[in-house]
Amino acid sequence: MTLEPYLEFAKKAFAREATYRLEVFTEIGSLIVRVYLLRSVWTALYSQNIAPMNLPLHSMITYATVALLMSLILEVDGTRLIREKIREGTIATDLMKPISVPAYFFSDGFGQTGLHALLVIPSILFALLLVHIDVPSAPVFAAFLLSFAIGYLLNFFVNFVMNSIAFWTLETFAIQLIVRWVSDLLSGQIIPLTFFPGIFGRIVFALPFAAIYSTPLLIYVGVIQPHDYARYFLVQVLWLALFSALSLAMWRAAARRVVIQGG
Amino acid sequence: MPPIIRTHDLRKTFRSPKRRPGVAGALRTLFSREYEDKVAVRDVTMELEPGELVGYIGPNGAGKSTTIKMLTGILVPTSGTIEVAGLVPSDRRNENARNIGVVFGQRSQLYWDLPLVESFELLRAIYSVPKDRYRANLQGFIEMLEMEPFLRTPVRQLSLGQRMRGDFAAAMLHNPRIVYLDEPTIGLDVVAKEAIREFVRHINQERGTTIILTTHDLADVERLCRRIILIDKGTIIYDGTVEHIKEQYGTHRTLVLTLTEPHPNPILEGAEIESNDRGLVRYRFDRRRARPDQLIREATQRYELRDVSIEEPDLESIIRRIYVEGYTQEPVNS
Repeated sequence: MTLEPYLEFAKKAFAREATYRLEVFTEIGSLIVRVYLLRSVWTALYSQNIAPMNLPLHSMITYATVALLMSLILEVDGTRLIREKIREGTIATDLMKPISVPAYFFSDGFGQTGLHALLVIPSILFALLLVHIDVPSAPVFAAFLLSFAIGYLLNFFVNFVMNSIAFWTLETFAIQLIVRWVSDLLSGQIIPLTFFPGIFGRIVFALPFAAIYSTPLLIYVGVIQPHDYARYFLVQVLWLALFSALSLAMWRAAARRVVIQGG
Repeated sequence: MPPIIRTHDLRKTFRSPKRRPGVAGALRTLFSREYEDKVAVRDVTMELEPGELVGYIGPNGAGKSTTIKMLTGILVPTSGTIEVAGLVPSDRRNENARNIGVVFGQRSQLYWDLPLVESFELLRAIYSVPKDRYRANLQGFIEMLEMEPFLRTPVRQLSLGQRMRGDFAAAMLHNPRIVYLDEPTIGLDVVAKEAIREFVRHINQERGTTIILTTHDLADVERLCRRIILIDKGTIIYDGTVEHIKEQYGTHRTLVLTLTEPHPNPILEGAEIESNDRGLVRYRFDRRRARPDQLIREATQRYELRDVSIEEPDLESIIRRIYVEGYTQEPVNS
């Protein structure tokens, strides 16, 4: 298998995203507004003493801001192409090419992410005008990046599974909306999972969504200590293995369905 | 040389849940486990020699697209065998894909948001076309299909004719040995159709590419193909030359007279009036029973004529007749 086509897919996806210039700028704009709003909300809440012990206000604001920056990358759903192609019936055209179609979806998503990752830089600069972000030590930051990378892959496969449902139902929008809301809440993107009390806390930490946002973020703000890194990475990797296997199985079943039933 | 495409007793059956009419029926459909089988392609056997350009013709739902999909490898046959350039397409989808090019009139393989030329670059990477061959091919195609003016235009802004020209170039960039064209001229104007026919002829003749053309537009077939395969209700009903079918079915000619004065019933011995519109009269006659020179002589004796012409049946009217009456070796003359 040669890599060239897949690099080219990523490059073209990057170029394609860049053609929607207005969207790019509104994305930065909306992010700045959200940073400001979250700062206000958390500051107000902390003045009422609702905070958990191990997360002071500056850590909380850092957490919320880094979560927003991560969402620039993680909210790009590269696999929505699957859904669109199924609805338009163009998936057949891709199957007639000498390529691995799932790898094509991944590289396309990766290219889209590339453009949005670039947006992180100006977004940080603007965000810094509004809030102060803690900067962790180099080893902690490296652990954060590693954890984020695993979370990125896991996020891709979760989306892949969701969008592949379209092979059977044609429409997945409602399912995706529900999963999106649930995962926004349960992934720790909006509220750190340490806020969930007792048994709820246990449950949310046991769900795959925690491995996408919560783990890298808690590493960043230092709630997860270095001696616990290995354990958390292991959980992330297990989820990744599970969802990549599930994606592959779904793809096989879907491809079989296409070749037997004609899509 | 061995055939490049070979199918034997190819069959495809689609299974779908049995549907019942009405709301109650729809609910029952949701829960029932009853299925009905629809045979889309029934025992299709054909062989194509390398370099042939064959018209694959049939009405809507006859099984043309299903056959093409099986040849490309994205649909697995229910039974029967296929071999395309020595490969079984559905077992070796990727390898088969390198041998073939496909153009669908209704779907584009170009990338919607990108300039046309970037889709070509992407295809170069997908098929690993060597750079110099890519450049030579592209240059040739740009000239032949006059794509220079819109090469940098995003595909979504192209007109249908421009897009189709782009799709044709896209399908041929990797020098496929076999090309499937599925309704490629649908919705195109005369000029674009002509450009595309010329391109297809060129690819077939200069490169020796084997081409299967499915189309509704029999003018395409008449201009391009020597051989046609007719399919109806999933079964091949004719496989042979265009000339043969014309000779066999073209026993009737049409005599067209323009009378100086309209006549209510301008009968001629041995010909039957098809239409009579204010002096423009069309007669149908069997060339084995009536001779045109005699008909014309008779006409000039009886009526005053402004114009006379004789029309040969075109492929379209022949095929229309076959769909309605079915194909028989010796058509019965009506």
